[in-house]
Amino acid sequence: MNLRPSAPFSRPGWRLWPGLAIAGALVVLAMAGLGALVWEASLPDMNELWRSRYLRTVVAFTVWQAFLSVVLSLLVAIPVARILARQSGFPGRVVLLRLMELSLVLPSIVAVSGLVSVYGRQGWLTGFANDWLGASWNLYGINGIVLAHVFFNAPLAARILLQAIESAPTSQLRVAAQLGLGRWWYWRAVEWPAVKPIMPGLAALVFTLCFTSFAIVMTLGGGPAATTIEVAIYQSLRFEFDAGQAALLAMVQLAICGFLWWLAARDGLTASLLPDRQVASHRSKAGSSFWARSGDAAALGLFVLFLVTPLIAILLRGLPGIGSAFFPEGSFSVNPALLDATLRSLAIALPAGLMSVSASLLILACGTAAFQPAITRLTNVAAYLPLMVPPLVLGTGLFLLFRPNLGSSSEGLILVTLINAMMALPFVLQMLRGPMGNLDSASRQQADQLGVLGWYRWRWLHWPRMRRPLALAMAYGTGLSLGDFGVIALFGSPGQPTLPVLLYQQLGSYRIDAAAATGLWLVLLLLMLFSLFNWLGSPLFNAGLASKSSRTVPEPEHA
Amino acid sequence: MLIRAFTLLLLTLLAVSANAEKVSTLTIYTHPSFAAEWGPGPAVKDAFEQTCNCQINYVVLDSGGDILQRLRLEGKSSEADLVLGLDTGTMETTRQTGLLASHKTDLSALNLPVDWQDPVFVPYDWGYFAFVYDTEQLPEPPKSLEALIAAPDSLKIIIQDPRTSTPGLGLLLWMRQVYGDQAPEKWQQLKGKILTTTKSWSDGYFSLFMNGEAPMILSYSTSPAYHMAVDKTDRYQAAEFEEGHYLQVEVAARVKSSDQKELGQAFLDFMLSADFQRHIPLKNVMYPATDLGDELPAVFDKLIQPAEALYFDPKMVTDNRRQWLNEWLDAMTR
Repeated sequence: MNLRPSAPFSRPGWRLWPGLAIAGALVVLAMAGLGALVWEASLPDMNELWRSRYLRTVVAFTVWQAFLSVVLSLLVAIPVARILARQSGFPGRVVLLRLMELSLVLPSIVAVSGLVSVYGRQGWLTGFANDWLGASWNLYGINGIVLAHVFFNAPLAARILLQAIESAPTSQLRVAAQLGLGRWWYWRAVEWPAVKPIMPGLAALVFTLCFTSFAIVMTLGGGPAATTIEVAIYQSLRFEFDAGQAALLAMVQLAICGFLWWLAARDGLTASLLPDRQVASHRSKAGSSFWARSGDAAALGLFVLFLVTPLIAILLRGLPGIGSAFFPEGSFSVNPALLDATLRSLAIALPAGLMSVSASLLILACGTAAFQPAITRLTNVAAYLPLMVPPLVLGTGLFLLFRPNLGSSSEGLILVTLINAMMALPFVLQMLRGPMGNLDSASRQQADQLGVLGWYRWRWLHWPRMRRPLALAMAYGTGLSLGDFGVIALFGSPGQPTLPVLLYQQLGSYRIDAAAATGLWLVLLLLMLFSLFNWLGSPLFNAGLASKSSRTVPEPEHA
Repeated sequence: MLIRAFTLLLLTLLAVSANAEKVSTLTIYTHPSFAAEWGPGPAVKDAFEQTCNCQINYVVLDSGGDILQRLRLEGKSSEADLVLGLDTGTMETTRQTGLLASHKTDLSALNLPVDWQDPVFVPYDWGYFAFVYDTEQLPEPPKSLEALIAAPDSLKIIIQDPRTSTPGLGLLLWMRQVYGDQAPEKWQQLKGKILTTTKSWSDGYFSLFMNGEAPMILSYSTSPAYHMAVDKTDRYQAAEFEEGHYLQVEVAARVKSSDQKELGQAFLDFMLSADFQRHIPLKNVMYPATDLGDELPAVFDKLIQPAEALYFDPKMVTDNRRQWLNEWLDAMTR
């Protein structure tokens, strides 16, 4: 006889089924897209792929550039994350974190324009290197591709790693601080164990992003020798109308990326089992000597230059047009087109962010609730399908399943919101996986014994620890949707543009200055959005909500 | 207050939907540069809606290729009454789907460099592909395709990929028209001058050309018209090549399954009237399909006048595209 009133959503099924349903829907979607292509034209012989010199080169090049990009991105990200964790109090740290969050969500055409202004033939750095160092380089080719990929992904990776290091069990930090560990031992004893569980997933995420890169590879690749599988799929579908070959290539892409995720899910996605009781924080002393601090400052300075100079180029390019973008031809009322596009973008991006965060939590809950490890892995891998399945194939699948009525704008916008949420899912999941898994087993068992389940478990056990990661995840989910152009282009939009679509429309009509201004506005908007969400997730904001007396335990200093 | 605002909103929505039921709607699949706020789309919509008791509904797809793909997916149940924005590169494949209907439009008013007698497709504008150059970086551009190919490799050009871009395919056909079977060799000689091959015209124009990365970019002979008329600068000009320039014609057609047959036909007729065509020169930055007389903006007189319009029959393009592309890939990756 159970006398306790049970908490809402406390039946075990609530932890399992919603996540499973979401994962299932994603699988169905991907299969529908592939199935449609195979149905349209039968699948060619697999041997066809290995006979064609062109396709072989494409597959090899795609893997090679993605591999290089991952290695370099992580080589940049790990030291940056370590320095940022060590030096938690320098001025400008908060601004730097916001800028790091920005790079991934920038529309690629804006980011490439910034990169070219710095590293291109007429770029600032190229000029400087020629005049002062006598060095010269050519941006266009594999180096340009890798450079752009590192620019997009290293800050993201560093941000995720930093979050992991900062959430390292405080007991370990205390012991490490008491022992006065040197840097190497501190890495071995504290930092590596903290980042190790998320490393495989992070590497797989960056690999998949670079693997499926399209416009950047073409713009900076120098010529058709730099062709990724994604380009070849586009070519098959849009140019040669060869659905069979497109399906075959999509399957190759799915097989390679899917295999990696499967491996990552086997080794790395398990939750950390170390206790994570929040106690007063003890920072390492390793970063406090003068020489150590100078070294950190120099390394960080280089990274800041790398990250910030393209952003400054975007700023300088957009500034001349931004006045007339807001107040066209000297009028004193705000340009309605820009305002409408901004509101429309936010109306899509905020719900999309919220949806992707909720879906991620459900999938993660399902991961901890499933009895079969295989089911856990399957749901985990399925969540990354939106990254692995080429957008054109996904679009076909979605189209067949929903047959959207393109004419009605409200229905179109709802669908676009849904798909944006789906595309953001892999990133948001990556943000939340670490923090969600970090709940120690002692707390978990205690909660089980006390019957803290369902909604209450979420409200009192997870929510207080996850506020900050949730805010960051929400910022990424929203930011990705805000900067997105692809999803809308997939479906066709009913005329009224979002901000990125407005940018492309301006480009298509030769309004170069206006487009640069729209690009800058988008960057500023993203920056504001990330600042807002970080503020919402920060202790400062929450201290205002909770009564101060209940906060006996100081939290470590985060961003 | 909130309730009042909500009621007002509800009433407006009701009024709009009630209104929508009365008039017939013409759904047009098109691409972004036509439907954009600054494109000809909105002005054309207003002008046509005044002549009929109807409403135009644009569905904006990413490119001509996407219009074709959407049509294929939807087949006979397509909602489109009209497709607008296909060109000589995609029209033949679209015709072969059998989903388009023939038109009854009088084509005698057409003013194209080639004779046009197509039963399905009605042109609405046209233009020449050309290399646009920055006069400040390159005062003396090459005078022919041959001169460009023979130029030293220090002259850098930006082109678009024929697999993903309309002008990119245009250059492939241009080279083929001028050099025939010699085209692959000529591509190999050109290769050293190609800074990069971008996915779309926008990528190259915005990120690279306007950033000063290269003095020449593959574009349209009409591009300088916009810079001269709106940006008020003569800095960007098109290089005239002796061999002639390749022609692009943009077309529209009716969809067979449409339940607005008469309205669709009326739109195609309207397309060749001055009320439609006058928006083409500066809003689509192309030549109008009919003679606009004095209404053609003065800057169009300053554009290059190619000696010859190079042009393959669309059927020829469809039959050979894949082979020509493979030869190009081979030449460029060897």
